[in-house]
Amino acid sequence: MSAQLEVQGLVRTFDGVRAVDEATLDVQAGSITGLIGPNGAGKSTLFNCVSGFLRPQSGRVTLDGKRIDRRAPHRIARAGLVRTFQTPRTLARMTVLENVAVAAPRPRNAEARAAKLLELVRLGEHADALAGTLSGGQRKLLDLVRALMVGPRVLLLDEPMAGVSPTLRVELLDHILAVRERDGVTLLIVEHDLDFVMRASDRVIVMNEGRVIAQGTPDQVRTDERVVDAYLGARHE
Amino acid sequence: MSALASGDFWAFVGVVAGIYTILALGLQLQFGFAGLLNFGQVAFMAIGAYTMAILVVKEGWSTWLAAPLGVLVAGAAGLLLGLPALRLRSDYFAIVTIAFSEIVRYVATNQGSLTGGSQGTIALGKVGEAAQYNGEWERFQERVQDWLGIASKDVAMLLIVWAAALVLLTLVWLAVRTPWGRVLRAIREDEDAAASLGKNVFAYKLQVLAIGSALAGVAGCFYAWQFSFFSPDDFQPLLTFFAWMIVILGGLGRVWTVPVGAAVFGFLFAGTRFLDFRPLSYLSGADRAYLRLVVIGLVIIVLVLVRPQGLLGKRDEMVLE
Repeated sequence: MSAQLEVQGLVRTFDGVRAVDEATLDVQAGSITGLIGPNGAGKSTLFNCVSGFLRPQSGRVTLDGKRIDRRAPHRIARAGLVRTFQTPRTLARMTVLENVAVAAPRPRNAEARAAKLLELVRLGEHADALAGTLSGGQRKLLDLVRALMVGPRVLLLDEPMAGVSPTLRVELLDHILAVRERDGVTLLIVEHDLDFVMRASDRVIVMNEGRVIAQGTPDQVRTDERVVDAYLGARHE
Repeated sequence: MSALASGDFWAFVGVVAGIYTILALGLQLQFGFAGLLNFGQVAFMAIGAYTMAILVVKEGWSTWLAAPLGVLVAGAAGLLLGLPALRLRSDYFAIVTIAFSEIVRYVATNQGSLTGGSQGTIALGKVGEAAQYNGEWERFQERVQDWLGIASKDVAMLLIVWAAALVLLTLVWLAVRTPWGRVLRAIREDEDAAASLGKNVFAYKLQVLAIGSALAGVAGCFYAWQFSFFSPDDFQPLLTFFAWMIVILGGLGRVWTVPVGAAVFGFLFAGTRFLDFRPLSYLSGADRAYLRLVVIGLVIIVLVLVRPQGLLGKRDEMVLE
């Protein structure tokens, strides 16, 4: 396996506060990588920088060896790196089917392919409903398949489990695992649900105060002192 | 009350409604489908009308070349305005558009050598000569009258304007049903989401701004032909808001609501001049003319209260977010 997504020395400040502070990490092709850290660790800012929605002050981001930092969000998406948002960005006054079909890079057969994807996540029966009528969990699912419609090689999921009911969580986990198996998509997932992260991820990256403080397999990270400190707030001298 | 029964009068009202339909269609495409707040639509109408008239009078162009070029220039002006202004957030963009429309009007007023200044198109030609730009159009209108056997000039104009409006409505209706139109609605719903799905939001907005401006250019040409004369005063910001009222009256996000809104607006606008009974007749005619604005304002307030989706909009879409 090789690094498909590389982030090197990424810095993003807000009014002098370094939200992301020289963050360096890589995501292996075909992996599911979990990105965790306490609130304010810089995970979302990192996501926004990588996906082009925020411009980093310095550092570089490469996708399959090509630099993508400084590119506009839509160009990054077209290059094969697609993100979802913490709160689902449902196109409320469009139908569920349209929400997915619109994401197709080429409009040919977009509806048919969208319908197929919706069937996969069992949203098929809602295809003609306005997306604004879906529940929070269903919207998360919709965002996921919509992102898939773009044809990503790397998918960034921002807290896919947030606001999803426990029953739907199990289903959502299956769908996320299937995205890797079936579609061969590399996944980088920010998630607060540690149980989910530890179960789904091959590798876990831990951020705190804008920096990457640990990375490794779920087992390695779980026992890492710096990680325990970051989460519990303790300090070892 | 004789005018009430006059066919020519209502034909005239219909012509104006048709012109407003074309003007408001541009706004519907921009706002109703792409979420773009354009408060300067009248500027592009002015640019279309002036380009056509100037080319005919000063350059001796045929109307049939000058008018399409006027439409093109109006569209290009939208493109040029959009290049810097569309980088702003939507509310700031709206402010820039209204400023732009006032700039256009002031330029038209003060660049007398180009536009005839505040005297209007009559001063487009040589000093002491009343300039005319619509000779060719009048002949065309007469031919239409002969061909259809219509005695009334206004009725002929009514048919021409509405034929053009129907063609443009159909074209826009077809366009918004394509995948392109689907992307526009996605941008209206959530720009960031559209960008995250690989859509070049800026490019789509630019296209929509240019197309809407070109439609205003078409409206401008018809306006010029209908009135045979115009001056910068004809392009007050109020006109843009009339077009907005039409879009809101009919209902947002649909193409065929625009002519309905325009017809209702035209009826209210013209109809209020028949309010010459007591106690309203105590007001002077000019004061009473302003009553129509009050009436239309009231209608819109009531409409927004009881039918926020417009006369023909879908309510279930209004409550979603």
